[in-house]
Amino acid sequence: MSGWPTTQHPPGVVSQHAPPPAYGYPPNPAFIPVQVRQGFSPYGAPPPPPYNPYASSPAQSQASTPGTTTNASPSAPVEQPKGAKTEWPESVRRYVQRSFHPENDDASVSRAELEAKLKDTIGSAKENNSLYTIDWDNMPLPQALVRADREALLKLRYTSLTTPIYADDSFNPRKRKSNDFPNNDASVPPWHSTNSGRSLEDRISYSPDKRVALDDSKFQKEANKRKRRFENEYKAANVASSSPTPPSSGPIVGTSETLEKKYLRLTAPPIPSNVRPERVLRQTLDLLKKKWRKESNYSYICDQFKSMRQDLTVQRIKNEFTVSVYEIHARIALEKGDIGEYNQCQTQLRSLYAMGLKGNPIEFKAYRILYFIHTANRTGLNDTLADLTAAEKEEKPIKHALDVRSALALGNYHKFFQLYLDTPNMGAYLLDMFVARERLAALCNICKGYKPDVKLRFITEELGFESDADAAQFIIDYQGQHLLEDRTEYIAFLTGKANNLFENSRASAFRKVDIKGQI
Amino acid sequence: MDELFKGFARAHAEQNGYLLAATLSPISPPENPQRLRSILKSSNSSRIKGDIKHLIKSNSSHQRGLDHEEIKGWVEVYAAYWNAVGDIVAGEDGKSTWTKVYESWKELTSILIRGYNNFGFEAWTIPCLYMIGKYLRLFAIKSDAERSRNLGDNSGGASLMQDDFDPETEKQGQLRDCEQHLKRIFTLCLNDRAPLEESRKWGIYFIINLLFKTYFKLNSASLSRTILKTLSAYRGDMPPLSAFPKSQRVTFKFYEGVLFFLEENYVEAEKHLVEAWELCNKDALPNLERILTYLIPCRLLTTHVLPTKALLEPFPRLQKLFLPLAQCIRSGDLRAFDLALQEGEDEFVKRRIYLTLERGRDIALRNLLRKVFIAGGFDELKEGETTPVRRTRVPVAEFRAAICMGSGGELVDTDEVECLIANMIYKDLMKGYIARERGIVVLSKKGAFPGTGV
Repeated sequence: MSGWPTTQHPPGVVSQHAPPPAYGYPPNPAFIPVQVRQGFSPYGAPPPPPYNPYASSPAQSQASTPGTTTNASPSAPVEQPKGAKTEWPESVRRYVQRSFHPENDDASVSRAELEAKLKDTIGSAKENNSLYTIDWDNMPLPQALVRADREALLKLRYTSLTTPIYADDSFNPRKRKSNDFPNNDASVPPWHSTNSGRSLEDRISYSPDKRVALDDSKFQKEANKRKRRFENEYKAANVASSSPTPPSSGPIVGTSETLEKKYLRLTAPPIPSNVRPERVLRQTLDLLKKKWRKESNYSYICDQFKSMRQDLTVQRIKNEFTVSVYEIHARIALEKGDIGEYNQCQTQLRSLYAMGLKGNPIEFKAYRILYFIHTANRTGLNDTLADLTAAEKEEKPIKHALDVRSALALGNYHKFFQLYLDTPNMGAYLLDMFVARERLAALCNICKGYKPDVKLRFITEELGFESDADAAQFIIDYQGQHLLEDRTEYIAFLTGKANNLFENSRASAFRKVDIKGQI
Repeated sequence: MDELFKGFARAHAEQNGYLLAATLSPISPPENPQRLRSILKSSNSSRIKGDIKHLIKSNSSHQRGLDHEEIKGWVEVYAAYWNAVGDIVAGEDGKSTWTKVYESWKELTSILIRGYNNFGFEAWTIPCLYMIGKYLRLFAIKSDAERSRNLGDNSGGASLMQDDFDPETEKQGQLRDCEQHLKRIFTLCLNDRAPLEESRKWGIYFIINLLFKTYFKLNSASLSRTILKTLSAYRGDMPPLSAFPKSQRVTFKFYEGVLFFLEENYVEAEKHLVEAWELCNKDALPNLERILTYLIPCRLLTTHVLPTKALLEPFPRLQKLFLPLAQCIRSGDLRAFDLALQEGEDEFVKRRIYLTLERGRDIALRNLLRKVFIAGGFDELKEGETTPVRRTRVPVAEFRAAICMGSGGELVDTDEVECLIANMIYKDLMKGYIARERGIVVLSKKGAFPGTGV
């Protein structure tokens, strides 16, 4: 599984600097918006997550590790754009080399620990723009830092014998936050009200205002602070409980009461105190839905959903709640065009539905078909067809997706674009991902089949463009301006002169889609 | 047990690999149904290695001496075999599981591979690898089936560290694991640097075929490509395929063809499938049927040839599969074609030919439009012309009428009809162009429907 690129960064930070790229959409503006895309805002920066549930506390500062001097300047302004490739200074390279030099090996520090520490040290230095200010040549090696961390933790554990770390509510305001959370209808579990009988509009939240002005550096500082707290807590929980209890081989039962949790890829068996049981996860889901509606911060939401999925997996929870977690994440990922994450969710959903769990299999099986059309995955399509029952094939969304498939298989672009304009649920997000390439294919067809010309209006209507201008723009985007001719009453598209103009673009558009590309 | 090592000695005396492989069979031969049990009973776990060593030496003593290292290797192999037999027999008595059988057979596989790497097993013994590899795959499949039956006891520690469940691992974990070991055998054969006449390279196609089967079963046929790529990198010092046993060649060609078929490269697919067809023993009906299952759809798309009744005569299943569809394509009956495709959908999908056969609709449509063209008759002879020329300007409305009728009376609008015709032209099934303003299709005077005589 490919790593999730934002995991190294605090939630929210990425979206600040790098607006989610319009994944899967061609850079040209030639496609028309369909109804469901009203709220789609690939270029708008999402508003910041205004929450800051982590008040600092004495225990917190105690937990912060001595030795990690690089963490010492949290207020350093960060100007560097996130997406930019970093040039590592020579001194940093030397430091890395020294860390891995055999003579500095420490048997008590595993390679994984060493690498994690190293990454953390350099990462936070980069975050703080102190890459060039730190004296790397005299910086303690990661081995030493890890040992120092352990000592600090040991001390902490002794103190915690008298005052349990997590017993105090004031230490962990997240808990309180969850209690604040309005739960109007306690008799009906919140997840039940989500999917059943509610319109799509209700289920998707749209970012309220994309142009919220925001002081970047201030936000960044908050995010950095939050990140460090997260890390310290995670490490504390991780190391503290790992030594006394040997990892068992069966599914664990989580004991964490924390609602939010940053996603970290597991490199060791999970620790129960760091995993939330289903009861807590249900509250988490509710919280996340609220947040998504209010803040639409995708990188935060995605990160949280991934940690939820991880908690479900390590506890082997496979029930209808699991289904709803994956369904909601899949919908949000679709809305944001995060096709990689969407694919992971749909793969899970497929096997969850196959277990007979309830959810919205019709909706998602239809997406699955459209997805495989997009990725030109014949094996996947064939398997999906094999999965469908006769009754399912008659359900509207699935029938629509199947019709789309067969229209494209037979080159019937006329039918395809009619179906395109009438797509149920969120299928249009998927269709939008490949509509441009299908337009190119249709143009190739038309250019070879019609002579000497056709009216531009014909192209507009046949290829589902919203206006003649859009159609013309599309043709111009692919270097076809010379094929457009203004004839007082109408604009003609000189198909007879196109030769193979669109063939190359068509061929490259149909080259396999790389699903690993994520936001 | 004594029997076993008599076989072992004879195989070594004759250098007969297949005889040797038979001593490692996990199945009792029909003439000796108690073979496995008697092998198991004739020793116990503390004595087994000593017993084997003694038996090998006593049976082979009067022959060309096996060298010391080799004997050591074979003792290990047969000890592992004896263990595996224990699990198999226990399984027959309901006291073991396929998973256990798979595990002990896997151990045997590793030890056998080690024999070649460390104890100098000779190349003539490679049929042992076939025997071991073949059953490793079968046991893996059985173990997977067994594990999915008792869902829940497959809680491998690995999945606990994942972010999501991996449904494939849960369903086919053992077969995936098996693939790793087959690949080791593949490398073992591929990398042998000994001169050709005594090289393990002669085992390569057997193992490749096993790997192909495994990949297809794992639903990742495309991984077979990696194997083919590796193979072609070694092409220079590999014996030519034609030097291998026919059975291996047929299987190899079949899978190579199907692989191209799945990649939609029908021209290449046809080549390989035809080779397989020609090599295949004419009495091996099930294999011939497998080949035809892919060759017929291939031909339909490459040369628009439909199977004859005579060809399908010995294959009732293929008749049921293809004849209705072929009939509709011939007559250009679109509606009936759609119904026939729908009718056979489950079977087609199962065999992975649905998406290919679906494209036969183009040929049905071509035949229908061709009928319209022919019904249009000839233009009046102009001065100086002696041979009549077909009417090449056909109103779109005429094609539309035909398509509406062909679709069972469903109204298809003019734009869609034009779209279908544009497609025909684009795919070179029809030559000409649409003059949209005038509402006619102008067809080529020479060969308006290439390859059909008009």
